[in-house]
Amino acid sequence: MEIKLFRKGDIAVIVFIVIAAIAFAYFSFSGSKNLQAVITVDGEIIETIDLSSVKERTVITPDTQPKVVIVAESGEIRFESAECEDRLCVNTGSLKKGGDTAVCLPAKTVITVEGSDVDAVVY
Amino acid sequence: MKKAVVAVAAVIAVALAVFVFYDGVINKTSEADFFSMKTYVTAKVTGYESDLCTAEIRKIVDNLDVNVLSRTAENSLVSSLNRNSGGELDLQTAAYVSLLLDVCEKSGGAFDFTLGAVSDLWKFGSTPGIPDEKALAEALSHSGYEKLTLSGGNLTMQDKAAVLDFGASGKGIALDSVKAYLETREIKNAVVSVGGSTLLFGDKDFTVGIRNPEGNAGSYIAKLHMSEGCVSSSGSYEQFFEENGKRYHHILNPETGYPVDNGLVGVTIISESGLLSDALSTACFVLGIEKGSALAAEYGCTAIFVTKDKKIYAENNSDNLETEITDTSYTYGN
Repeated sequence: MEIKLFRKGDIAVIVFIVIAAIAFAYFSFSGSKNLQAVITVDGEIIETIDLSSVKERTVITPDTQPKVVIVAESGEIRFESAECEDRLCVNTGSLKKGGDTAVCLPAKTVITVEGSDVDAVVY
Repeated sequence: MKKAVVAVAAVIAVALAVFVFYDGVINKTSEADFFSMKTYVTAKVTGYESDLCTAEIRKIVDNLDVNVLSRTAENSLVSSLNRNSGGELDLQTAAYVSLLLDVCEKSGGAFDFTLGAVSDLWKFGSTPGIPDEKALAEALSHSGYEKLTLSGGNLTMQDKAAVLDFGASGKGIALDSVKAYLETREIKNAVVSVGGSTLLFGDKDFTVGIRNPEGNAGSYIAKLHMSEGCVSSSGSYEQFFEENGKRYHHILNPETGYPVDNGLVGVTIISESGLLSDALSTACFVLGIEKGSALAAEYGCTAIFVTKDKKIYAENNSDNLETEITDTSYTYGN
């Protein structure tokens, strides 16, 4: 007697697994190439902005204390104003390339442009 | 025959699926960023227990801050030491304090963690300004590591007005605590940064940027290619204010109480110890290139000096370390 190894349904499952595995691998290893800026407040992402597609001046005012005003326009993003005392975040200036980071400690707000080519920057 | 082909295909498919799944589990990366120790902390851990590690790192740093090192948290060990002019230290803190005292001595006082009263007068981090000269001299007269005695686990401060301040070593101590924890976990590698002081952990070729003194927190002038270790910088670009056209930064000369003015803008230290990388970056900034290099060498650490006139001085005392200047406006000075 012949033992059937597979039925049609099994093959369908196998094909599905292969496709799923390849798709999973593809999405795991490929990243977006756009210039993405991520804004976090106290470690939580509150906004992700594709800087390469920002055409008009976009103002973001996260709910923080002290208040900060973030502006994104034509490929760059910056802290435009802050009600904190030292204003180090505003002095940081515009962020334009992968890895650029500005931090406002009092407001616990961080802007990072994704895609740094180093593991860390020491400061 | 046909069935054999199908069987082989099935085995490959399952193997592939298992591989991708397994790879996703053992090479899983977990990231966390948060605020602690009055600074910005980031952790990126790769490996089987990465989720657990990032959560635990937060607890470790918060706990160290609130219960041990902070001098604003009322119930911390350091607050208690400052209130009572000393006290009993746990084994781990005693070891840290002992090493810090060693750095104070070997640096001839260029590093000093008793300057709390002096740095308070400058009000960096809130409303910085030039302090009153008399008040500064008074605070300075009560400071000085020579006034500390560590005997067994007992620390005594001979001057009641001396104020312990771990601002120039706490981030490094945090890295050492995190490192001790990670060594007990199943992970492949980790990069943990406490306010710019960074731990590179595990089996990986790491690249670390030395911050551009004129750029934002993510832009760099040189790259370090290295295996695991701790890297810390002290820079005059970190916290500063300008008054009457002169720049005043937060790295104070323990001898004068005023910001160090010796042509340096930044010093980076590479060490196996987080505490040493952090404390020596301050000590070497105060000492300058020649004496600073000698001190770093004494501890087997590498010091990289960046000057105002865009020169980089580096003497390599570390294994598996290469420096590469990436900003062409900077050149090697030695």
